[in-house]
Amino acid sequence: MEYDLSLIRNFSIIAHIDHGKSTLADRLMELTDTVSKRDMEEQLLDSMDIERERGITIKASAVRMFYRHSDGKTYMFNLIDTPGHVDFNYEVSRALAACEGAVLVVDATQGIEAQTLANVYLAVDNGLEVLPVINKVDLASAEPERVIREIEDIIGIPAEDAPCISAKTGFNVEDVLAKIVDIVPPPKGRIDAPLKALIFDCLYDNYKGALSYVRIFDGEVRAGSRIKSMATGNTFEVTEVGVFAPTWKPVDCLSAGEVGYIAASIKSVAETKVGDTFTLADFPADAPLPGYKHVNPMVYCGIYPADGAHYNDLKDALDKLQLNDASLVYEHETSVALGYGFRCGFLGLLHMEIITERLEREFDLDLVTTAPSVAYRVYTLDGAEATIDNPTNLPPAAEIEHMEEPMVKATIMTPSAYVGSIMELCQNNRGIFHDMNYIEEGRVNLHYTLPLNEIIYDFFDSLKSRSRGYASFDYEISGYQKSELVRLDFLLNGEICDALSTIVHKDRAYAKGRAVAEKLKDVIPRQQFEIPIQAAIGSKIIARETVKAVRKDVLAKCYGGDISRKKKLLEKQKEGKKRMRQVGSVSVPSDAFMSVLRING
Amino acid sequence: MIALYFHIPYCLRKCRYCDFCSVTVDETANRYCDALARELSLRAEQYPMERTATVFFGGGTPTVLPSDALCRVLDQANRYFPFEKNAEISIECNPKTASQKELADLRRGGFNRLSIGLQSTSDRLLKRIGRVHSYNDFLQTFSFAHESGFGNINVDLMHGLPGQTAEDYLSSIENVIALSPEHISAYSLILEEDTPLFDDVANGIEKLPEEDAVADMQDAGIDLLESNGYRRYEVSNFAKAGYECQHNLTYWNNAPYLGFGAAAHSSMSENGKWYRFSNQASIQAYLRKVDHGKVPEAERILINTFEQMFETIMLGLRKTEGISYESFQKRFGCDVREIYPEAIDKNRRNGLWDERNPEFLRLNRRGMDLLNSVLCDFQERNYWDLLRP
Repeated sequence: MEYDLSLIRNFSIIAHIDHGKSTLADRLMELTDTVSKRDMEEQLLDSMDIERERGITIKASAVRMFYRHSDGKTYMFNLIDTPGHVDFNYEVSRALAACEGAVLVVDATQGIEAQTLANVYLAVDNGLEVLPVINKVDLASAEPERVIREIEDIIGIPAEDAPCISAKTGFNVEDVLAKIVDIVPPPKGRIDAPLKALIFDCLYDNYKGALSYVRIFDGEVRAGSRIKSMATGNTFEVTEVGVFAPTWKPVDCLSAGEVGYIAASIKSVAETKVGDTFTLADFPADAPLPGYKHVNPMVYCGIYPADGAHYNDLKDALDKLQLNDASLVYEHETSVALGYGFRCGFLGLLHMEIITERLEREFDLDLVTTAPSVAYRVYTLDGAEATIDNPTNLPPAAEIEHMEEPMVKATIMTPSAYVGSIMELCQNNRGIFHDMNYIEEGRVNLHYTLPLNEIIYDFFDSLKSRSRGYASFDYEISGYQKSELVRLDFLLNGEICDALSTIVHKDRAYAKGRAVAEKLKDVIPRQQFEIPIQAAIGSKIIARETVKAVRKDVLAKCYGGDISRKKKLLEKQKEGKKRMRQVGSVSVPSDAFMSVLRING
Repeated sequence: MIALYFHIPYCLRKCRYCDFCSVTVDETANRYCDALARELSLRAEQYPMERTATVFFGGGTPTVLPSDALCRVLDQANRYFPFEKNAEISIECNPKTASQKELADLRRGGFNRLSIGLQSTSDRLLKRIGRVHSYNDFLQTFSFAHESGFGNINVDLMHGLPGQTAEDYLSSIENVIALSPEHISAYSLILEEDTPLFDDVANGIEKLPEEDAVADMQDAGIDLLESNGYRRYEVSNFAKAGYECQHNLTYWNNAPYLGFGAAAHSSMSENGKWYRFSNQASIQAYLRKVDHGKVPEAERILINTFEQMFETIMLGLRKTEGISYESFQKRFGCDVREIYPEAIDKNRRNGLWDERNPEFLRLNRRGMDLLNSVLCDFQERNYWDLLRP
């Protein structure tokens, strides 16, 4: 195909989980013969197991399609898939920045959700044209008119001509293709200007090395070019450029307006950060594309191998995951209770869950995770300032002048029937109410400021259960705020178990201390001696429970026929002991550390 | 010298807690005793010249089979594996399964010890666990046994039954003590998977007493029995002086025994090697093999010296007298204290040994309560250092 900017369309699809993004992407690829139905792995774009199971996209991905329009011309479509979760907000914004338009998929039976709204705003902020599409119109409960009205009222874009489709059956999906040509503007850009390539994703391939997914805004790049990262100044030799068709396909050259990948002599994805601009080392652009920022982890937790002997396996696994996911950070730490492990930083809770799940599934590791923490700012009396992401490292209370904690601006969309219950939940979690507005009859939008440390436990689960799954939730970090925080410790048989320490607001400490102590009493098995469990702030004990000593641990019967069976039983008991962590004299099962996470004190 | 065990896998009805190999009496029962006799001849070829110190007919409920058939098996056993003079010859029975005549026949046929499965003297509890008999049925069986000349009788009791209180249990013990049997076994109910009781408990239909309540019952039971002249000589077994069950002591001393019948286990030494083996668990498969003149073995494992050592500990520590250092030394050529120093030290720190007698490794009462965790410490031992020259 001749290179002609007016025949290129770069777009994303924005949709809430389960609203049909991947299904629509599949249909578009089929209709454009990009991939045959038979060859297509279901929902090709979401290729990781976990992504498919959870129905979300974690990493961005892209595909190139060719569409023959009714005007007789053939257009090149570059569909850039975006991660569908708040944790990956920055990645979403960069993927959107690589496009001129966005297809907004809304479920005709559900309407707009908080997360969708957040991404639509991101798209509008990035100057994208939004093409609304009403999906699942084949379902009996579909209310396309209502949803169209909702889109116009809430987002403020015209939607009366929105294609009403069923991505599942393929109904009217052609219309989406035609509208993309009509509504999404072609890219601008000059092929003779210095190279400006926006990195919107990067991943590591065992054969090709670190790959950068790029949108070329100006200029062109080809194998052999020397390119330079405008954020770091590092230069690399390009070994290959290519496009997504839908798997990697090398091409001679990527030019302004196009989307593709660059393979270069880059050792790890950490060297090519999302949002960075590549230019040519010998013919550099004056300024990078706007919007690059360094993303800091928001949520931290300790990750330890359940069996201390697997420390090196865990390290290798984290190294491998980081090749693909530069937003994962980790450093070695040592816990008295858990031994050698890592303090890991994540973009958010989901990111944390995905990483731990991948470590367990893909690397077959048995892990112990400590309670998640956020990064607090601690100002000490001697005038020093420190960022603390591990409660164990908090200086003694007497040395602290004051502390600050990260806050988020939260948007919650819910049917109005659940407003009372949700407001109560927010209040219980130290939320500050801002406003509530009706999106339409029966549906409201709530705005709160909440401390991040209150939503990293089970806020989302509580929200879902209080609203029978109907409420949706989105948040963005809004800065730090002074707060009365204390470190809550737990003592087992008189010894602090560092892996259980958390930083909490002082008003929440008593309830949390009691709840965790009770839970520990249930999960710590009886041992040969009585075990006091205490919750403490400094030297002050605020809650106490006791695990009574075991009375009988003996089998009543053992005769000739029982010997093999009995030995197996002892073997099992011994294995169980191996999975215990020794905290002083007390054996604590590995999952005890996890189970206390599930407490909303 | 060996012990012989005969497994009789038949019952009138299966109890709700039972996971033993047993079925309600069916047409295979007629052929079963013949098969046992046949198996005796097959095993005698394998283990000629063995003499017998004790015999035990267990089940199931052996007495659901005709007494003459049982006596014929005993005769055959004596023929192939000659009994020592004064050999202890036990048979288990349940109330309601043996008439006075049958018990007399058994006594005359050579059985000299009777073990009666009573479990509780509360009819309410007996019903709840699916026993076919009442307390009165037991009293009748007990007096028949006496009248038939059994001078060595055991009564089985259980605690931790659904709906049982400490009073229930202690009054059962008192009732039994009043009859003055020579031996009392007092077991804690073990909830086994794949039993009706297990399912009922899992489904919340039936509820067992709390762990602490069961422990209280057991402790009070031990005290009551011991203060009435029944010495605890094993975790769950109590006897008047001189009436300890010699057959069961064979197991706890990790000494050789031969098992006959479906699902029976054996432990024998052959050419200096120690084996444990078990027979076909299904009655049909067992009968078929024996009918074809084949040893009805299903599985045989070689027990190496280290496993033998551990099993000697596992079984020996069940006895209140513990393990004699001398006997261990004699059997394995080494001192148990040198093989397991860590496990012994750890449990000394926890105060679980009774070290008043310098010739025995023995647990105190608390130690016997925690036998499983003590054994886990012994199981930690890897024997690599012993393998190096």
